Amino acid sequence: MWTTIFVSGISLGSFYVLVALGFALIFGVTRNFNLAHGELLVLAGYSSYWLWKVWAFPFVLTFPFAILVILLICLGLQRLFSRLRDPIELNSIVLSFGVAVLIQNSMLFCFSGDYRLIRIPMLNQRFHIPGFYISYGQLTLFFSSLIILGILYVLMYQTYLGKALRATIQDKDAAALAGINVAAMGTLAFCIGAVLIGLAGPLYGCIHYLYPSTGNEATLVAITITIFAGVGRLGSIILAGWILGLAESFTVVLCGASWREMVSAVLLLTLLAFRPHGILGKGEG
Amino acid sequence: MIQSSFTKTFQDNTKRRVTVDRAGLFLGLLLLFTLPLLVQSNDYILQVFTHALLLASLALAWNLLGVSGSISLGHAAFFGVGAYGSALLSLEQGLSPWITIPLAGLFAAGLGLMMGLICLRLRGAYFALATLAFVEIPRVITGNWDALTKGSLGLVGISGLPTLCVGDWHVDFGAGTTASYYLVFVYSLVLLGVVTFVFRSNMGLALEAIRDEEIAAEAVGIHVTKYRLLSLLMSAFFTGVSGACYAHLVRYIEPGLVYGLHFSAIPMILAICGGRFTILGPALAAMVLYPVDQFIFHPLLPAGHEFLYGAVLILTVLFMPNGFWGRLRNAS
Repeated sequence: MWTTIFVSGISLGSFYVLVALGFALIFGVTRNFNLAHGELLVLAGYSSYWLWKVWAFPFVLTFPFAILVILLICLGLQRLFSRLRDPIELNSIVLSFGVAVLIQNSMLFCFSGDYRLIRIPMLNQRFHIPGFYISYGQLTLFFSSLIILGILYVLMYQTYLGKALRATIQDKDAAALAGINVAAMGTLAFCIGAVLIGLAGPLYGCIHYLYPSTGNEATLVAITITIFAGVGRLGSIILAGWILGLAESFTVVLCGASWREMVSAVLLLTLLAFRPHGILGKGEG
Repeated sequence: MIQSSFTKTFQDNTKRRVTVDRAGLFLGLLLLFTLPLLVQSNDYILQVFTHALLLASLALAWNLLGVSGSISLGHAAFFGVGAYGSALLSLEQGLSPWITIPLAGLFAAGLGLMMGLICLRLRGAYFALATLAFVEIPRVITGNWDALTKGSLGLVGISGLPTLCVGDWHVDFGAGTTASYYLVFVYSLVLLGVVTFVFRSNMGLALEAIRDEEIAAEAVGIHVTKYRLLSLLMSAFFTGVSGACYAHLVRYIEPGLVYGLHFSAIPMILAICGGRFTILGPALAAMVLYPVDQFIFHPLLPAGHEFLYGAVLILTVLFMPNGFWGRLRNAS
């Protein structure tokens, strides 16, 4: 039984890593808290659902469409964010909160409040390893998060562009002094973030019911993981995601499913209470 | 010479503005006071304005904290605890809402103290994020404490708004929409008075100083933590009272509703759009935006009509950081 909980915790954690990556990247490079993150994720899920259900597209082919939708919205968002005055972090919260309300209501208008799920039967099938239960869905989440992280790692640490991005994350002004086009890095971060959201959204729709107001929970998860990991640390993001996933699946088993929603909130509050400066702390790992 | 004439014009302008404001406020209040007569007790219109007044009270209460520069995304916590506190006390103990509504405010203030202990050492964006997470705690606890709160089923059959008895004179505020309207009207008016008093007192000055430059405020001897906590507690108390009024007004509550994002978002949006450093702005925004939402957008777009609040918030943040009323009155 414990291995099952462990496996489901890790796969949930891998999923949370996917959810959080876009948020973490956008926050790291531009210092904008994008509270509309969860809504964008759900919107990506809806676009994929729409293609899959109405036009009977194969699920895998819906990803490019979801990415495109989110990319367009994120580029628009970036224009809005770049007009913000100081204090940027606080104003970005208020602005993106407005965007979240806007997207949520647009989705309510377009897709109604019904619960929708992208049902892929294969994902629920059991992968046969004697002794423990693991489904194809869990394996997919685990490996897709590792693969996406791997690609991101290569991008950030092996290319010149990644170096510029990391420099912007570390110190915006110094990066600008060194000749890096910080504004372009911001746009780029929004683009990569949009791709990550476009990849995570359809997966979200496979394992979680889609309805317009569910994005809030995903936003909270993304905030928790980002602050837990600290800025610009890919390795600690996966650790943070796994810890959150494990904490949630143990909570479900020990206390009941309805307490799960409190885990990320408590974790975030504890982090903020003991590391009041949040990200300035070194984080874990 | 030029200087003095300038000062004189400035003073004249200010004086004129204050006169205009007072006249406008008086006219507005008169209009609200006579509204039941004007609309001939049309239930729907009165209900909308009752709700608008309740939202105005929420925005005013939010602004008690907002004036110190903190932005809370978690006021639904106080609203929900107020609603549940008052509803449970009157359902289980059979107490009169006259007692349970203030008690509910105290519960909310207690929760505010908890939030203060956890969140008040945070500033700016991190405070906002912490409050966003904080709502989950009372929400999940209320949803899971089946024995007391009936969990996610919610509470039904909550007693209506109370009856006022002075000697032989009885007013049953729960009896009809007109009576409820007047009770919420009087409550919002009292809260407006409290906010005016606080903003013009030393505490208001202290909060303004903290907002502008916290370190300098501390350096001139303002007890920053004390004032921030005090403003949070007052804000929580009145939000709780509004939540209790809501419970007795609507007479049905459930965790997803009263702890929902709606009641965190709306006071914040209204206060920021109206002008979060002004006294009247938040209430004004509520009295304008909510009726516009209900009378114009709701019939047009039954699903998703609340996009209005998001759009207004985005426009305000980008083009009028001081809010509508702040732009009109302070910045010019």
